[in-house]
Amino acid sequence: MIALKEIRKSFGRHEVLKGIDLEVEKGEVVAILGPSGSGKTTLLRCINYLERPGSGRIRIGDVAVDCGHPSKKEIHRLRGRSAMVFQQYHLFRHKTALQNVMEGLVVVQNVPKEEARQRSVELLEKVGLGAKLDAYPSQLSGGQQQRVGIARALALNPDVILFDEPTSALDPELVGEVLAVIRKIAREGITMIIVTHEMAFAQEVASRIVFMDDGAVIEEGAASEFFRSPREERTRQFLRRMTPEAVYNI
Amino acid sequence: MKLDPAFIWEAFIKLLAAIPTTLEITAVSVGCGFVIGIVTALARIYRVPVLREISSAYVTFIRGTPMLTHLLMVMFGLPIAIDALSGALGLSFSSVQVPMIGFAYVAFSLTAGAYMSEVVRSGLLAVNRGQIEAAYAVGMTTWQALRRIVFPQAFASALPNLSNSLIGMLHGSTLAFTASVVEINAKAQIVASTNWKFFESYIAAALIFWGLTIVIERLTALLEKRVARYDRGGVA
Repeated sequence: MIALKEIRKSFGRHEVLKGIDLEVEKGEVVAILGPSGSGKTTLLRCINYLERPGSGRIRIGDVAVDCGHPSKKEIHRLRGRSAMVFQQYHLFRHKTALQNVMEGLVVVQNVPKEEARQRSVELLEKVGLGAKLDAYPSQLSGGQQQRVGIARALALNPDVILFDEPTSALDPELVGEVLAVIRKIAREGITMIIVTHEMAFAQEVASRIVFMDDGAVIEEGAASEFFRSPREERTRQFLRRMTPEAVYNI
Repeated sequence: MKLDPAFIWEAFIKLLAAIPTTLEITAVSVGCGFVIGIVTALARIYRVPVLREISSAYVTFIRGTPMLTHLLMVMFGLPIAIDALSGALGLSFSSVQVPMIGFAYVAFSLTAGAYMSEVVRSGLLAVNRGQIEAAYAVGMTTWQALRRIVFPQAFASALPNLSNSLIGMLHGSTLAFTASVVEINAKAQIVASTNWKFFESYIAAALIFWGLTIVIERLTALLEKRVARYDRGGVA
């Protein structure tokens, strides 16, 4: 379904991604973990070309892009296959919650307005914001904004939803409501790649964990295996620092 | 000399006839200036080769020289260019056929364009980079992202400065007198030339400019309420 081959990316002289390979099957929920600066967010942003990889190949569904010299058209098609939920939400500030969700449907996918509206209302109800349709982002809490962001991503009906640290910018008491929504859609079999610092959440919701450090994949495996018996020393160190004992049970 | 209030009123009525000319010059220069401003600002932000250098040179030259100089240079330079071109193409068109107000349109559009280029640029830069990333992530093309997401927000944040430019050009249009265009201020001088009551006449002109400016301020406030309705930010 999704295949990344030999993805490399440098910022100036600093190589942030050192040839990453990753495959994700349909319906899988993959969590990417790793210390900050490990390249996990950059990798995620490469998948929909918000970050331009130096080289490698990206395939989502039937769209394949050679990162050497992709055409604008290829990039555009690739982006059409994914949706993204941002750390800072990035809702369209001048549009209401409902308009935010409708925008992609109407402008990009040419869905008739009435149909788009209906689908958007349903999605906003699903994330618990049926009462906030006409609120602007500035009138919503962080948690509410992020849930609109998730509804906006769901509306596009993408092959995969990319989550870039979806709860990192939230006040602690608002994290729960966003995680609950992600958990809910994970159960519906939507393919997701999540970059996160929430260890307990990753363990619960992800089917597979990818651990990155210093621009490379150090270890990957089933979520249950990964937390119970990490194979690599670097993974163990990371987990020891990140997780309370209850999660980290050797 | 004593102030003659009755003549202020008399001049005021006579000056009303010159308002359309002033508004025309203002509207044309701000309208064309806005287009020039958008093009040059985009060229600079997106670093379009060649166009970017031309835009930067244009902005620094125009902002570095007085508005009156622009008018004089266009008035004396443009006819030479027009006649040379007309001669080279074998046309019978001569620069004498260009109405004087045409030179004011061209000169002031160039003036307004340079200042508005900076206004537009600041508006575009005020839009968070995440907005266009989100638009891309939703699957929009660059043009769709600019038109649907970036421009509306840039316009909202540039509005106070755009209003400033508009007022500046309204007042600057008085320089068109140099090109023998009779706008409000020129009319005031003409009205007073028979009885030498210049002070009264200029007071009348000032009142009209003030009134027009207040109208612009009000309209801007209304527009601001509409386009920036989504954002209740700021420090107040």
